[in-house]
Amino acid sequence: MALPLTYNWKNLFVRKSTTVLTCLIIASVVGVLTWLVGFKSSLDRSLSFANDRAKIIVLKQGSTSETNSAIAPEDANKLTQLQSLAVDAKGEPLKSPEMVVQVSLPRKRDNGVTFANVAVRGVTDTAFAVHPNIRLLSRPFAQGQLEVIVGVQAAKQFGGLEVGDVVQLGYGGNRGFTVVGHFSANGAPVESEIWGPLTVLMSSYSRTAYSSVSLRLRDGVDAKAVVAEIEGPAIEMTGKTESDYWTEQTSNIRIYMMIVGVLVGIMSIAAIFAIANTMYASVAGRTREIAMLRTIGFTPNQVLLGFLYESVFLSLIGGVLGLLACAAWLSLAGNTKDMFGSNTFTTMGFEIRLGPAIVVKALGAVAAVGLLGALFPAWRASKLQVIKAMREA
Amino acid sequence: MTMGYIVLQNLRRNRLRTALTLVAFALPMGVFVLAISLLAALIEIGNMNERELRLGVHHKVTLINLLPDAMRRKIEALDPERKRLTAVCGMRWFGGKIPEEPAPIQSLAADADTFPIVYSDAGMTPEDIEAWNKDRQAAVVGYGVIEQYKQKYPDFKLGGRVSLKSSVPPYLELEFHIVKVIEKANRAQTFYFRRDYLTESLKEAGVDSPKCNIFWVKCNGADELRELQTAIDQEFSNSADETKSEDENAFAASFTQALGNLPGLMNAMAIVVLVIVGLVAGNTMMMSFRERTRELGVFKAMGFPPIRIFTIVLSESVMLAAIGAIIGIAPVWIGLTFYPLPKLGVLPIASLKASPAAAYISLIIAIAIGAAAGFWPAYQAMRLRTVDALRRVA
Repeated sequence: MALPLTYNWKNLFVRKSTTVLTCLIIASVVGVLTWLVGFKSSLDRSLSFANDRAKIIVLKQGSTSETNSAIAPEDANKLTQLQSLAVDAKGEPLKSPEMVVQVSLPRKRDNGVTFANVAVRGVTDTAFAVHPNIRLLSRPFAQGQLEVIVGVQAAKQFGGLEVGDVVQLGYGGNRGFTVVGHFSANGAPVESEIWGPLTVLMSSYSRTAYSSVSLRLRDGVDAKAVVAEIEGPAIEMTGKTESDYWTEQTSNIRIYMMIVGVLVGIMSIAAIFAIANTMYASVAGRTREIAMLRTIGFTPNQVLLGFLYESVFLSLIGGVLGLLACAAWLSLAGNTKDMFGSNTFTTMGFEIRLGPAIVVKALGAVAAVGLLGALFPAWRASKLQVIKAMREA
Repeated sequence: MTMGYIVLQNLRRNRLRTALTLVAFALPMGVFVLAISLLAALIEIGNMNERELRLGVHHKVTLINLLPDAMRRKIEALDPERKRLTAVCGMRWFGGKIPEEPAPIQSLAADADTFPIVYSDAGMTPEDIEAWNKDRQAAVVGYGVIEQYKQKYPDFKLGGRVSLKSSVPPYLELEFHIVKVIEKANRAQTFYFRRDYLTESLKEAGVDSPKCNIFWVKCNGADELRELQTAIDQEFSNSADETKSEDENAFAASFTQALGNLPGLMNAMAIVVLVIVGLVAGNTMMMSFRERTRELGVFKAMGFPPIRIFTIVLSESVMLAAIGAIIGIAPVWIGLTFYPLPKLGVLPIASLKASPAAAYISLIIAIAIGAAAGFWPAYQAMRLRTVDALRRVA
C-alpha cells in the first residue's frame, strides 16, 4: 500500500506559513516564466502563419527587407520568364507587385504617447490570389479610390484605424484614405499592416518603383530552385521564402528573448533551492514521524515518493497562483506588444495569450522544479535510520 | 559572547539551510543587479540626452520621408540672432553594413560644419574637428560599434579605413576613415560621417537628392527647446513637408517600445525579484525561528532583555541577506567588468556596464529586505513568553 495522497496534502497545512511563503516564491517565478513563454509562443504562432511554402518574396538584389528594396517595374517584368508560377483563371501568372511605405500612428496602449511605424502596402487585386490567407471581414478597397483596408492587429493596437476613419497617407501625409474594412490573416504578421490600391498609393508617395514582388508557385515546385533562378544571372534579384523572410526579421527579437530566458532560468534555479530548503526543514521537523511510518511498514521508496508528491503539490499550487497572477497582469496592463523587424523599420503587433499549451508548459516546468528541489530532501528522508530517529528528541 | 558571535554561530548551525538560502537569495539578486544596471545605464543616457538639449525635426508622416535640406536654412532663419538655438545639423540615414555581416550599423550622414557643435557630447578636440573638416571620408564612430566589430575586422579602430554598403537605395558602397572614437554611452552605437560626401557620391551614382531624414537643433535652454518645438512645427504646417519635432528622449521612446520595451520589462523583473528574495529570506527566518523557539526561551530565562532577542533574530536575517547579496552581485559585477556587453551590439542591452551605483543600491535593498523579512520572526521572538517557549516542542 502506498502512502495515501491526503497524508502529503494535509502535511502542507501543518506548517502554514512556510507553505504559503514557498508557494508565493514559486508563484512569482512562474508568473514571469508564463509571461515569457506567452510572449515567445505568441511570436512563434504569428510567424508560423507566415510560412506559406508556395510563396516567394522578391526583393532588390542585396536588400534585406521590403522597406529598403526598390524594384523598377521593368525589372519586375523579368520575373515573367519564371516557368514555375501558378496562374489565375485567365492564365495570368500570379505575381503581385507591392509597394511598402509606412505611417506613424499612435499606440493605443500608452494612449498615444509613443508612435509606431505601421506598414502601408499598396497592392493590386492579384495580391489576394498570391496571399490566399488574407480573409476580408468586409468589402475590399476599390482600385483607383482613396480607400484602404486594415489588418485586425493594426486596428487593435494603433489609433484611428476603425472602419469609417480617415487615415492621412501620402508623402506629405495630406491624402485622406478612408478605412473601408478590416482583414485577418490567421494571425500572420500582415495583420499589422494597412493595405490599399497600388497605383493610388504609388502616386501619393510619388514613387515609380515597387518595393517587392510576391510570387505564388505552382503546386509541387521546389521553392529553393526558384530562389536560385531569381538570384541567377537572368534576373539578378533576391528571393526569399516567406518563412526565411520573417525568421530574418525576428533575429533581434530572438536575442532579446534569449536574454530574458536566461534571467528567468536563473530565477527558476533559485526556486529549486527555495523548495529544497523548505523540504529539508519539513523532513527535519518530521524525523520521528517518518520513523513511525517506516516502523508500521512503509518502504523507503514510499517515503521518498511521498515527499516528492508533497513538493510537487506545493509547486503546483504556486504554479497555479503564478498563472493566475500572469493572466491578471495581462488583462490589467494589456497584452498587446509590437516589435520592429530587424530590417523592416515597421512594427509587427501581436498579443500575448495564455493558451492551454502555455499552461501545460508552465505547470510542467513548475512540477520539474518541485521534483528537483525535493529530490535530495526526500532521499535523505528515505535513508533515515529508524532506530536512531525514534530515539531522537 | 558577542552579538556577532551568536549570529554567526546560528548561521553555521544549520549549514545546509544557510547554504540553500544563500543560493536562493544570491541568484535572484544577480538578476536584480543586472536589471537595475541596465535601468541605471538607460537613465544615465536619458539624462545625458536631456542635458544636450537637442530637438529632432522629422517628417510628420514618418521618419523615412526625406525633407529638403533647404529646411535647415528655414529653421535657422526662425532665430537669426541665435538666441534660442545654437546650430542645426541635418542627418540622413545610410544604414551601412559590412558586406559580410547581416545587420546594418546605425550609420548616419551629418552636416559637416555643424556636427561638432550639435554633437558636442561626442567630445571632439580641435584636432579631431580639423581632421573631420579636412577629410571628406572622415567618420566619427561610437565605441560600441568598434567593440562589436574590431576582432573580426581589425580596421575598426582609430585611423582605420572601413567600407560600408548602404542598405537603402541606391545601395552605395562607401569607404570611410575613422578619425574619432566616441567614448560616451549615449552615442556608443552610432557611426557618423559627412553628408557632403554622401550627397556627392549619390550624385555620381545618378541620384541628385541632397535631402535629410532628420534635423537636430541644438537649443540654448529647456524653455527655448519647447518654444522652438512649437515654432518649427507651425512654420512647416500646411506645407508639403509637415514636420514633427521631438526632444531626443521622446524620439527614443517610440523606438524603445518597438524594441520590446526592455526597460519596462527589467523594471517588472526587478520588482518580482525583490518579492522573491523577500520571501526566501522570510521563509528561512520563520523556519529557523520555529526550530529555535526553545533556545530563545533559554536566552530569555538567562535574562536577555527582549530587545536583545529581537536584535539577535533580526541581525541573523540581515547578515544572511547581505552575504547572499554579495554572492549574487559580485559575479555579475566581475562579469560585466571583464566582458563588456557592447560586444553583443544589440540596443539597448549594449549600454549595460558595471555600475557602482547599481551594486550599492542592490546591496542596500538586499539588506533592507533582510531586515523586513526578519522583522516578524524577531518581533515574535521578542514577545515570546519564556514559559511557553521552554515548553514548546519543535
